[in-house]
Amino acid sequence: MTFSTATPVTADTSVGMGQIAAGRDAARLGAVLGSCVAVALYGPRQKTGAMAHVVLPKSNGRDNTPGKFADTAVPAMLATLAKMGTPPAAVVAKIAGGASMFGSGGPMQIGDANIRAVTDALKAAGIRLAGQDVGGKKGRRIWFHAGTGELTVQIVGGPPRIL
Amino acid sequence: MNHDLQTPPTRLDLLHQLFASATHDASAAMCRWTDGLITLSLDEVREMPLGDACSELNIEDELLTMVVLSLEGEIGGAMILTFDNANGRQLVASLLGREVNDDPEWSELEKSALTETGNILGCAYMNALTRLIDTELVPSAPYFIQDYGASVLQQALMAQAADCDRVLVCRTGFHREGEDLNWRVLFVPTDRMRKAMEGTPGGATGQPPLPRKYSY
Repeated sequence: MTFSTATPVTADTSVGMGQIAAGRDAARLGAVLGSCVAVALYGPRQKTGAMAHVVLPKSNGRDNTPGKFADTAVPAMLATLAKMGTPPAAVVAKIAGGASMFGSGGPMQIGDANIRAVTDALKAAGIRLAGQDVGGKKGRRIWFHAGTGELTVQIVGGPPRIL
Repeated sequence: MNHDLQTPPTRLDLLHQLFASATHDASAAMCRWTDGLITLSLDEVREMPLGDACSELNIEDELLTMVVLSLEGEIGGAMILTFDNANGRQLVASLLGREVNDDPEWSELEKSALTETGNILGCAYMNALTRLIDTELVPSAPYFIQDYGASVLQQALMAQAADCDRVLVCRTGFHREGEDLNWRVLFVPTDRMRKAMEGTPGGATGQPPLPRKYSY
């Protein structure tokens, strides 16, 4: 299921812009990213995981789509994982995305701001960042294994990289 | 403002008319650029949830060749001209009067031919919109990019996503001598651009829209 109060999914699920999905064990959560940042949180012992497809850094008080903003996505994901039996103290994070698709001088750049906002939100929540593949000028295709916390990242033309 | 509300059908019809008019001008420009070979038609003007946009437009992890133009400012938007590699190569070959090149790397001349195509289309499109909404719109220089389609579409949706949970996208198709081509133009207006379009005389007076025109 892909919304803010996510019910665990059991199969491969695509997580669209602004959405949050959660799963356990063999569930795989996928996304294609440009300047958006995927935040993957998981509980290694509980074998649970959640992923948000963050679009923008700050919600500025808007709370109807928590997965869309870095500052609301992390608390919403922690709440979802807590309902699945994973307390925040047990949660580890990995992140990917935040590209500057048209180069540093190009239009519509928000990748760097998204990376900063996500890392700030994780720090504020006391979540350890265990791996990241961020920045650059290329899009990414990713798969997150909820049960293992393994995050596979692929840039066009390159080999998959496992975090 | 509640950004979850769907746009009423009459408003979408009005937007469809305006985009159809802009597509008409872009089609004429494309026809001239390709010696009458290629024309455009408006496929759809569609509003959809942000999270479903890439899947509903069927633009996900396919490697695409794209030319992107943006309109900076609040009344702005982004235009993406997309091809799969084979179709992009065919267009460039016909523009340059050469055989189709199979080299994986695009030469500077090939990139230039494709970006110029985007520039001609974009300028025709923006000029039409400028006339229709009575606001000067200046597109950026065209940007050539090859990447996952969804990665680039996300960039274009970003400005609408800042204000809305539903996004509006205009999709245009291409034809060669009556046959559909696997090329597309996606235009994503900002929220302010969309409202400016809805504020044109037909929208402001609530008059019923003209019949839809889908092709030229």
